[in-house]
Amino acid sequence: MATAASPLGTVPPVLPATDVVIQTVDLWKIYQMGTEQVAALRGVSIEIKRNEYVAIMGPSGSGKSTLMNLIGCLDSPTKGQYWLNHQQVSELDDDALAHIRNHEIGFVFQTFNLLARATALHNVELPLIYAGVESAQRSARALEALKKVDLVDRKDHRPNELSGGQRQRVAIARALINNPSILLADEPTGNLDSTTSNEIMGLMDRLWSQGNTVVLVTHEPDIAEYAHRVIFIRDGQVARDEPTARGRKARV
Amino acid sequence: MPLKESIFVALDTLWSHKLRSFLTLLGIIVSIWTLVAVVSLVQGVNGYVGAKIAHLGSNAISVSQFSLEEMTDQKLFREARKRNKPITMAEYDYLRDHSRLAQNVVASSSRGTGTNLKAGNHNMTDVQVEGDTANAIALAVYDVAAGRFLSPSDVARGNNVVFIGPDIANQLFPGVDPIGQTLNVDGHDYQVIGEATVQGNVFGQSQDSFVIIPIGVYHAIYGTKGSVEVDAQASSALALPALSDELRMLMRSVRHLHYADPDTFGLIGADSLMALFHQLTGVIAAVMIGVAFVFLVVGGIVIMNIMLAAVTERTREVGIRKALGARRKDILSQFLVEAAVLSTVGGLLGVALAWAFTLLAGQLTPLPFALPWAAVLVALGISTTVGLFFGIYPAQKAAKLEPITALRSES
Repeated sequence: MATAASPLGTVPPVLPATDVVIQTVDLWKIYQMGTEQVAALRGVSIEIKRNEYVAIMGPSGSGKSTLMNLIGCLDSPTKGQYWLNHQQVSELDDDALAHIRNHEIGFVFQTFNLLARATALHNVELPLIYAGVESAQRSARALEALKKVDLVDRKDHRPNELSGGQRQRVAIARALINNPSILLADEPTGNLDSTTSNEIMGLMDRLWSQGNTVVLVTHEPDIAEYAHRVIFIRDGQVARDEPTARGRKARV
Repeated sequence: MPLKESIFVALDTLWSHKLRSFLTLLGIIVSIWTLVAVVSLVQGVNGYVGAKIAHLGSNAISVSQFSLEEMTDQKLFREARKRNKPITMAEYDYLRDHSRLAQNVVASSSRGTGTNLKAGNHNMTDVQVEGDTANAIALAVYDVAAGRFLSPSDVARGNNVVFIGPDIANQLFPGVDPIGQTLNVDGHDYQVIGEATVQGNVFGQSQDSFVIIPIGVYHAIYGTKGSVEVDAQASSALALPALSDELRMLMRSVRHLHYADPDTFGLIGADSLMALFHQLTGVIAAVMIGVAFVFLVVGGIVIMNIMLAAVTERTREVGIRKALGARRKDILSQFLVEAAVLSTVGGLLGVALAWAFTLLAGQLTPLPFALPWAAVLVALGISTTVGLFFGIYPAQKAAKLEPITALRSES
């Protein structure tokens, strides 16, 4: 499908094909730093299909975190369009964005970002609370999600009673609970040792093979190798967009 | 986020910072405590006074040398003192003989200090001595416990007989039936003819320490300089205004007052006495409640302060919640509920303290203290409202946080 970006970014794209989950069209993000304007993203156009496994790479300051924040609806673009699951997200207001974050996106963060005072089970339940799911159903579903990451026996533990790998698995269970369109992982292994990293990446792999769309932001090439496609960001623009060794193998 | 969830989170946070929460809540606690305790106190005192001090009964009106206004206002009193004359026995006779609306017209004179009582080896001082007409028992708060009250012939003949309060019987005639015994009051012997029922204490003052002799005997011994108090009883509370008018008319005519002259006497009903008392306790209550509201505002500001600190402390938490789909109003309500729960807990602690206070005060004083439920509900409502009001600003601050900024915060 042809959705070449117009230089002005105002021409609406052809409606994304049904298997496209993420589509950005000439996405710009400009920060006002005092009197100076700094462009973190300068016209990024990418497309990610359902059940793709994509890594976004780039040196620090490249704009990859900004891109991830925009994809995760944590931030709004200055210019350009962002279509998530056939919905133009770049035009939505705060509450609608909250709804998208709740239903369409599962976040996995480098620092886990669990609530310190809540148990593993309660942390996993949290997105369901904001989805308006009633209490009994919440626990049942949260328990189900913990089962997928093999942490049912740790359900009543608080984050400080869990290892780093366990915390990240709780975070992954939390990300999955609302059956989001994409799993968005920002340096998911950044705070973990290599053994635990491999374990977590194995889990991500499993989730991908179960049909989830996974977007991975990382600066570690060996972690990116788990993905099937790598998008390199440099100076706020897509520098390269190519399949990984694994992706090439899969294609063959 | 559902309310139950918010309350749970709020209580959890509160419990995890017990000392800080308690210090935060001191203002609210003290203020609600004061509010409820003062209402309880005023209700207790008013109830007590209504039941005990209103000697006259609700259907009675008293003719005295000064009106209530003159007795409670210095300027009016200075003027009245030059003008008003003591009520005399002749005036009493006139009122008794000419009133057609009064069922009973009673006269009494009394003195409270400097009296000496003697019976056998026993002595008592500072007992109230009262001279009464025989019908005074009809308006008295006490009844006859033993023997009899003064008879009309006792009063007419000036018999040396005495009707005594229970304190006199207990202290001067221990273990002896006082009826028929001789009692010496200020050097004069009287025969005890009856004893009154127990009334107990009012503000620590015994109401049972009195002796009553015929009014003529009283005037013969203690002189007629003091004013006689005349009490008249109406057939019903509804007939009181008419009786009051009649007594005023009779007093003005017996004193030959010109129509333009002011009254040279006072008319005091039990209702006006209670009204005065309520006015007094009302002023006390108003002052205390004013003080309580100052505490409340201070308490509210402290809550706002601690909530602002909580928002800063938990910016990261707000970020996480927003990333997971919390809308502005979810965050807003979470912090509002937290502030409201905080202040309501303060209110509950204040009510608990007030409750303990009423229990203690009920034990230590004769006042009928009770926890005023209406005041408790109002107080809790107020404390919750204070939390909600002072929580608005911090909660809005939290709700407006940008998810990405909040997530990146170091806290």
